Amino acid sequence: MAGFRRRGRDRAELHSLAGAYALNALSGPDQARFERHLAGCEQCRLEVRGFGETAARLGAAQAVRPRPELRDQALRTAARTRQLPPGPRLWPGRAPSGSARAGAAASWWGRPGRGPWPRLLAAGVAAAVLAAAAVAGVTALRDEHRISQDQARGNELAAVLSAPDVVMLTAKVTGGGKATVLMSHHMRALVFTAAGLPPLPAGKGYELWLIGPSGSRPQGMLPAGAARPMMIAGLADGDQVGVTVEPRAGSAQPTTRPVLLMPLE
Amino acid sequence: MAGSEQAHWPGPAGGPGADPELALLVSRIARGDQRAYEQFYDRAAGPVLGLVLSVLRDLAQSEEVMQEVLLEAWRTASRYDPARGSAMSWLMMLAHRRAVDRVRSEQRAAEREQRATSAQVDYDDVIEAVESALDRERVRRCLDALTELQRESVTLAYYGGYSYSEVARLLGVPPGTVKTRMRDGLIRLRDCLGAE
Repeated sequence: MAGFRRRGRDRAELHSLAGAYALNALSGPDQARFERHLAGCEQCRLEVRGFGETAARLGAAQAVRPRPELRDQALRTAARTRQLPPGPRLWPGRAPSGSARAGAAASWWGRPGRGPWPRLLAAGVAAAVLAAAAVAGVTALRDEHRISQDQARGNELAAVLSAPDVVMLTAKVTGGGKATVLMSHHMRALVFTAAGLPPLPAGKGYELWLIGPSGSRPQGMLPAGAARPMMIAGLADGDQVGVTVEPRAGSAQPTTRPVLLMPLE
Repeated sequence: MAGSEQAHWPGPAGGPGADPELALLVSRIARGDQRAYEQFYDRAAGPVLGLVLSVLRDLAQSEEVMQEVLLEAWRTASRYDPARGSAMSWLMMLAHRRAVDRVRSEQRAAEREQRATSAQVDYDDVIEAVESALDRERVRRCLDALTELQRESVTLAYYGGYSYSEVARLLGVPPGTVKTRMRDGLIRLRDCLGAE
């Protein structure tokens, strides 16, 4: 009994650290304690992320104009500095203040492969989604037109993925494979990826739909093979995400029974 | 119609503070694109220097930290994770962390508490504020809407680089009170900045 009450109080007390944590204002032991709590508290991770955006606004509002000669120096230094190759996604952690734990301070944020979205990372979806969200992709370097299209698309993807209210939904696809949706209600937009779909005969492809009370709206053909994320904007109430098998060129309306029908609530 | 890629977008999302173009630049930097880094510098250097300067109060040191932060952004761009926050929040986190690490390692708490009460800093004639920082006015309004204790708690921690126990000492209130005021203050700021 008393133990329960105590645990409840500890939890509430831990929650209250989210602000100080986002402001980089926790002492070493408190920071470690809060990070342990974060690992199991999705609500707190969302809150901390929102606070991070708020703090960034406070920071950016302080902008000053650096002396012009610093620019060349920065560009020259970068040009001769080796970059990290792509790898586990990182977020800046911080050495807890006043402690010698700097080495161990690959804090919760900074610990590779464990982030606010551990399930995502585990699912291996994030890597694909984020890689594409990171815009353009090397394949896009073919021509100007493609580049600008892909850049616009990457912006949109990144915006959805970093929306404060983003949620993840997954569903099995009939016949094999799995679909994942990352959706922002606020932005009325989502990012769709599918993996492990069975190959189709030549001339056929998977077509993505929004299926709602007002009918079905085609959203494009899923790229064959690659788990390239697709962006859907303009979600309406009652919409579901659907996938059907269609002729390669696409259909204006679904002509087969959906292999996926995913409610978005 | 069918097969066309949907690329419609309802408009800039995430409020005026969101800067999707910065995220785009980070992804290009991740591929070693130096042109992108130039553009990134032009957007990032001012906010980074401003934040670092507010914590360190020393222009020469702040310029040094700014260079370190921007170089770290160049070096680690491939590891930036958009799912964890906007590119600007990533950058500001890098900057704040560096500034705080530096100030906490170099100065003893006593000196810093003295600094908090000391008068205006003198870099104003060396360096100019970025007039086009539209957010400046908005942020000021939202800070003004907080209670005094919320505002002091948030700004001493973020702009001053103080830990919450230092803030508690400076304000003469219990540490627990400061913790909750920081969180309450951020919630109100978030709502205020998001709503405008």
